[in-house]
Amino acid sequence: MERSGTSTPLADAVQGLTLELVSALRSGGPFRLAGSVTGADGPDTTDGPGLAAVRVVGADAVLPSVLRRTSPDPDDLAVFSRAVHAYPPAENASPASVWSHWAMQRTLLRLGASFDGTSRHEAEPRATWLDDAPWQSLTHQLAVLAPLATPGADCAVARVARGRPVDVARGFVRAVRRRDWLQAAGAGRWLVLLDGVPETLGLLTGLEFVAQMGGDDPRVALQVEAARLMRAGVLV
Amino acid sequence: MTDTRLIHTVGTGALEWLHAHRAGFRLEEDVDPEVGFLERFKPVGELAVICKVLFREGVAGSRQTQLARQLLDHAWAHTLDGGRMLVHGQRLEPFSPVPFEVYLPFKELGYSHPGIEQTFRFNHRLESYAAHELSPVRRLGLSAFQRRFGLPPQPPESEVVGRTWLGRTPEPWTVEGHLAYDITHTVFHLTDWGEEPGGLPTPLADYLATWLPAWLDDWLDLRRWDLLGELLAVDACLPRPTLDERAWEGLAAAQQPDGAVPAVRTMPDDEDPDELFDLVYHPTLVAAFASTLATSRALTRLTHAPA
Repeated sequence: MERSGTSTPLADAVQGLTLELVSALRSGGPFRLAGSVTGADGPDTTDGPGLAAVRVVGADAVLPSVLRRTSPDPDDLAVFSRAVHAYPPAENASPASVWSHWAMQRTLLRLGASFDGTSRHEAEPRATWLDDAPWQSLTHQLAVLAPLATPGADCAVARVARGRPVDVARGFVRAVRRRDWLQAAGAGRWLVLLDGVPETLGLLTGLEFVAQMGGDDPRVALQVEAARLMRAGVLV
Repeated sequence: MTDTRLIHTVGTGALEWLHAHRAGFRLEEDVDPEVGFLERFKPVGELAVICKVLFREGVAGSRQTQLARQLLDHAWAHTLDGGRMLVHGQRLEPFSPVPFEVYLPFKELGYSHPGIEQTFRFNHRLESYAAHELSPVRRLGLSAFQRRFGLPPQPPESEVVGRTWLGRTPEPWTVEGHLAYDITHTVFHLTDWGEEPGGLPTPLADYLATWLPAWLDDWLDLRRWDLLGELLAVDACLPRPTLDERAWEGLAAAQQPDGAVPAVRTMPDDEDPDELFDLVYHPTLVAAFASTLATSRALTRLTHAPA
């Protein structure tokens, strides 16, 4: 990601966390969320940019554990849990924001985070706003909600995606044509999980192309790496 | 579903403009040899192809039919001088396929010049003619024209189609402007400009049904009206046209009150009428073509709709 003159501590923290995630996914090496956040906020801060960055990155902040099906370190889980509780969605939050938070809660529970006794999983939000969405905005929304695209994850958003593989594939084409690499990478991540994607799409080379053109942005690289690993997992 | 009246109106407006500006279909005898005398034949041939579609589909009103007939008469009698300009052009470039390509639609519409047909038949016997290194889509078009003229297509279209871009159904996200024109022309040649939708092999029709919506969306956003018009014509060549509402509304909104359609974004502010014609005739002709095919498909759909 290009650093602009207007970068903020939060943007820097998001970029730093994302880069660490990409590196961990690529190398298969260790990833310590607690280390990343402490590095940004200092040891005792509870609401610094590092923690806010975890909320921005969402459920992907623990993606290495999710994809490797391993338990994160308790310190990492504690940090993740703190971000979930510190940044609940506002009353009038967008559906994407509500879903993103819900995804974090679900991930927290899946990773066994009842340790603090306060985790209470909110009911699954509704996905009705996606049901009638044209394929263009459907793909855009799904790309925003790419952290929901994980193996075996079932939720209303994933069910909508599963029902519209051709529409998401069209959205991928549209995003690539528009040079919107982040949207293309997010859509591609969903597509590796869907049945019924037209063979002619050339999804794998398409993802390579997205990485080649947009991979300097760690957010793009993260989605492409996630897609690549999930694809490899599916093939095993 | 798109309002059929809107689709139809785009075509009537376009034809009015083409008729009013028919003097723009002109040749330049003292043209720079680097450009070539045959360069200006293309618009004339395209006009004949589109007018043939208009007569064939039978959805034009009596005024449209009259305008189209007058346009063709003008192009044949004045621009081509009853075919003599084709003979002249062929003498300047004896082995060029262009005079043949321009002549064929006129012949199919009842205009003819027996003298030049002899030259065409001679050319088609030349090994050089078959060996001419053309792009696959152009070769496909020439084979289709040979078939329509009553000559054995060399090579047969079925052999050429697999060498075109579309014939290989590649990654749809790689399509750029020039590739998109190759796609549209492959479809036009395989379907005889919408006459035979069945001429499109099923895998290609499926491929287009899947990806055409993404391309329509893209070139609508880019306001590339010329290409959008061609893609809308492709849609109307498919077994199940979508008659894409947003795209048709965009094209209709881009059309000027006098019927002209800009190629890209807005009308050029060229004051020279010939230069303006050269910039605008093609998208306007394409709009008439797409409108005629799509109107015809919309009406067919109505007749087959459950009561």
